[in-house]
Amino acid sequence: MLKRELKINFKTFAIWTSILLGIFLVVFLLYPSIVSDQNIEMLNEMIKIFPEEMLKAFNMDISSIDTAFGWLKTEGFVFILLITGCYAGILGSNILLKEENDQTIEYLNGLPVSRTEILLKKYLAGLIYVLSLIGITIIFNYACLLLSGDFNQKQYFLLSLTPIFSSIVIYSLCFFLATFTHKTKKMLGISLGIVFVSYVFQIFSSISESTEFLKYFSIFTLSDIRYVIENISINYINILLSIILSIILLSASLVRYKHKELI
Amino acid sequence: MVKEILKIKKLTKYYGKTLGVKDLTLALKEGEIFGFIGPNGAGKSTTIRSIMNLINKTSGQVFFQDEELTKDAINLKRQIGYLPSEVNLYEDLTVKKMLDYHASFYPNTSQERCKYLVDLFQLPENKKIEDLSFGNLKKLGIILAFMTEAKLLILDEPTNGLDPIMQQRFYELLKAEKAKKTTIFYSTHILSEIAKICDRVGIIKDGQLIKVETIEELKSKNLLFVTVSSPDIEKIANEFQLTNQIENQTVRFQTKLDSNTIIKRLSKYQIDKILINEPTLEDLFFHYYK
Repeated sequence: MLKRELKINFKTFAIWTSILLGIFLVVFLLYPSIVSDQNIEMLNEMIKIFPEEMLKAFNMDISSIDTAFGWLKTEGFVFILLITGCYAGILGSNILLKEENDQTIEYLNGLPVSRTEILLKKYLAGLIYVLSLIGITIIFNYACLLLSGDFNQKQYFLLSLTPIFSSIVIYSLCFFLATFTHKTKKMLGISLGIVFVSYVFQIFSSISESTEFLKYFSIFTLSDIRYVIENISINYINILLSIILSIILLSASLVRYKHKELI
Repeated sequence: MVKEILKIKKLTKYYGKTLGVKDLTLALKEGEIFGFIGPNGAGKSTTIRSIMNLINKTSGQVFFQDEELTKDAINLKRQIGYLPSEVNLYEDLTVKKMLDYHASFYPNTSQERCKYLVDLFQLPENKKIEDLSFGNLKKLGIILAFMTEAKLLILDEPTNGLDPIMQQRFYELLKAEKAKKTTIFYSTHILSEIAKICDRVGIIKDGQLIKVETIEELKSKNLLFVTVSSPDIEKIANEFQLTNQIENQTVRFQTKLDSNTIIKRLSKYQIDKILINEPTLEDLFFHYYK
């Protein structure tokens, strides 16, 4: 069953991977021409006119965009967080509901497999793809950065691991929410909503002290890029929180799915 | 004593406040073909989906071979072949790959059995499921249900979509399964099928099982159907206290009187035509549905 799940979700995975790598390929190809001395001066002048809050939101106050790695630390990881978050959300919503949507659930339920097995294998297949998307992006960007010049490799790898935490929690949350409905379309809107609302909350939480509390409502707080840039280490609380949240959501999904009416 | 292989005890299912099935108790004997009849919305599919645990029972239990058939009873599920009324399978697979995928869940499935069924129903193995016609999809559903040599077959409207030749082959397959002591739960609304293949029949009405009898018992009820054509038809209707519709001086009615009494009472009137016959299964079905 796991093999089949991996097979049927491969096409979507390939599309999302191509989109993500395509964006980075274009950036890495164009970046050398953008970062000429003259352009960098212009960019630095431009950045000076941005409000401090905005620079903070994109980590531009602690990182310069005069190198490809610098760009990656500011905007690049925002792309990775958003794209892997969207992919994780959509996959989490779809992977269970596809059987109900295609009405193949009646066949699947008739097979000698327990609901626990169905759920765990589907969860695992999705998890493999979420981690693979991030893993391939890490390798691809690493190769591109090697060709672009020197960079702090330890910082790069630590930064690259951060999207895993938010993506897995988004995936688990959408997977859990999918046990409450039969409709894929409904869940698609909810999953994208979770990603974008989380992102907006995270941006606002970094803008001012009065909105800082919003970070507690954003899943992207678990992927604290700023902390990694400043400390060159990952906040272990975030790792722990991600694991705990994912386990809780998976357990809740198991309980819910066992009692779900499949038709 | 014949072993009871499937036992349904006080099965009740409500969809919110709407009744699906109420207090349904039923036992299927080993090796019998049990016909389950009722019109659309009577509760046939609700009963089957409850047995298969696709939906949650409001109350009641289902036992298969004396063990409760729960959602996670894998060993029991391995011995059940299920054909839903609408066959929905993985459209990206070919027939061959679907059969292999299905077989992978049943370690004892033999290739010979699978090949025999594919040949019997003349199914194109290399076609993708998305390209199959409705009839071919039904055939594939039948093959999947029968290929694992299950002890219990639950078939929901199995012949819907099959041409007469395939229907005949299907009935022969059922007979062969019965000879192997396979128990078959056969849900349909085609009454002629029930008379042809079933040992017993259960009639479900408004979510309640109103009758369980053998076909012979059903037919041997003291119930006669009388069709009379007469110029005195109004008087005859009064004589037998009929409320039936009279058309062209002809009335058809059912009665528990014996033939002699009927003829004696009709002899007072001028009769053009008279037909007294035993009820067909259709007649009995409508009798219970009045």
